[in-house]
Amino acid sequence: MRTDLSPRLRVALYGLMCVLLIPFVFPTWWMITSSVKPISDIFAFPPDLWPRRFDFSTYQRVFELQPFARQYWNSAYIAAIVTAGTMVVSSMAGYAFARIKFPFSNAIFMIVLLGLLIPSEVTIVPLFQMFLGWGMINTHWPLILVPIFGAPSVFATFVMRQFFIALPGELEEAARVDGLGRFKIFWTIALPLAKPALGAVAIFTFLHSWNLYLEPIVFLSSTQMFTLPQALTQFTDAYGGAMWNIQLAAATMTAIPVLLVFIVAQKQFVEGLAHTGLKG
Amino acid sequence: MAPVSLHSVKKTYGDVQILHGIDVDIADGEFIVLVGPSGCGKSTLLRMIAGLETITKGDIRIGDRVVNDLEPKDRDIAMVFQNYALYPHMTVATNMGFSLEHRGASKAEIAERVKWAADILDLSHLLDRYPRQLSGGQRQRVAMGRAIVRNPQVFLFDEPLSNLDAKLRVVMRGEIKALHHRLGVTTVYVTHDQIEAMTMADRIVVMHAGKVEQIGAPLELYDRPANLFVAGFIGSPAMNILGGTIEGAEFKAAGVTLPLPAGVTATGAASYGIRPEHFQLSPEGLPAVVSLVEPMGSETQVTMTLGEHLVTGVFRERVAARPGETIHILPELAAVHLFDATTGQRIN
Repeated sequence: MRTDLSPRLRVALYGLMCVLLIPFVFPTWWMITSSVKPISDIFAFPPDLWPRRFDFSTYQRVFELQPFARQYWNSAYIAAIVTAGTMVVSSMAGYAFARIKFPFSNAIFMIVLLGLLIPSEVTIVPLFQMFLGWGMINTHWPLILVPIFGAPSVFATFVMRQFFIALPGELEEAARVDGLGRFKIFWTIALPLAKPALGAVAIFTFLHSWNLYLEPIVFLSSTQMFTLPQALTQFTDAYGGAMWNIQLAAATMTAIPVLLVFIVAQKQFVEGLAHTGLKG
Repeated sequence: MAPVSLHSVKKTYGDVQILHGIDVDIADGEFIVLVGPSGCGKSTLLRMIAGLETITKGDIRIGDRVVNDLEPKDRDIAMVFQNYALYPHMTVATNMGFSLEHRGASKAEIAERVKWAADILDLSHLLDRYPRQLSGGQRQRVAMGRAIVRNPQVFLFDEPLSNLDAKLRVVMRGEIKALHHRLGVTTVYVTHDQIEAMTMADRIVVMHAGKVEQIGAPLELYDRPANLFVAGFIGSPAMNILGGTIEGAEFKAAGVTLPLPAGVTATGAASYGIRPEHFQLSPEGLPAVVSLVEPMGSETQVTMTLGEHLVTGVFRERVAARPGETIHILPELAAVHLFDATTGQRIN
């Protein structure tokens, strides 16, 4: 940001930024504060920005009503495997499309990109049939395999390809003269230099997997196997009414890793997308 | 060290022929410069020697091996790239030792060789830095260090000074030449800068449109260019070339008649070449109208109209004439070059 703004203009600018922040910050604030309010205080009018009474038992109830720790673990390990798998697949595929000359590479890449145009709602039924045939329903395999080889991975491959295209060819040629073969060039030269793009891929793949909702409700049926987005819908009373404070406590715990990922890696995320020519 | 031999080397991309049969023999330990305008094929030829481009036809030998089908790593060459191609994520020391590491050298040997190269190139204090923390000249030296650390048979340089400013380029020119004297490794150096070629080469290969125009020592090319292209390319300011006809002992050009050296037997249409410094100021000389005077301190460069031709003269003495005034100049007959008007080949 320019630093030669007049003090008055700077105050106005910061004021405007604060106003613009409200729609983004308020829902999170409301979620966190409501998670420690008794349910009767949540809908009080006028609403309280700061709880009048604190009720931390909501967090305990989250774990009593459902196997929440297990569900947390399910989401965490699935997201970790999907993230690692997508990084491997997309970096290798992106490198191949960017740096290796093979017949019809551009046409094949276009066909791969077309996968992004097909909504997951369209493919979910055939996928269900396929995984049913493989005996993988009510297992976590569909939630791992679909993102690694499906649309999220295609987008990641696109990001990685754009990065590798911009990598100077002389670096690879120098490595060839230095005695490296294709895989070693990828592993020791291209991949370490692709850290920003790889970081961006890791972040949005993790978030995508963490927030996955449609696939879990189609492929999973037992609460022990549920992931967090699916589990959040289960905090209801006997009549199907939402137990808002408990649900928001669970939502707060669900959002923590997402917030942490963004806080720790937002610079990497922006840099990575900047390298690819995409805008964040 | 090893000799390098290029025999009828051709390169085509689809229907486009880039190199039309190049024959060059480079002696063991020789410093040879490939020079020519952009697009003449000099970098392609260097990359073919390196193994980074395939050879369409012909043979390339390094030492006694035909290397046409060998990978770059198996040719025992080292290359310095135009943009240095230093690995950004590695320190100077790692960059320099990288090729040794991948050839299975021990850590002690790598450390010893890196230290040896760093001492030669004055890089010892920079070994822990990353390329982004270095100046252009330092990066250039690291690129050279990476090349010498392996003790290859041939060094290949692809326009290594083109990213440096003019002053640093002169310094690095000297350093590369000194390094060659010290190590005595056969060197092939590509540049489009004929000053670089003249000052560094044992021999120069002048290339144009995928062909070799002339091979020779720098002064041989300067003093006896084989054709009009070499005459015009080597030398700065460029040689003055006047079109006209040889008639007896005179050369008749548009608006001016120039004297010829003794013994010229050719007749008819030709080109008359004279270098700027081979004009002399003389009251008995030919009249030329001054259009620009550029005092350089040690010499004066004058652009003037001789007959209907714009020519350049470089004089050791100071020239007081102003634009529009007439001075009198004489060509040194011993330094006159004559070229066939049709083929462009030298005829005297």
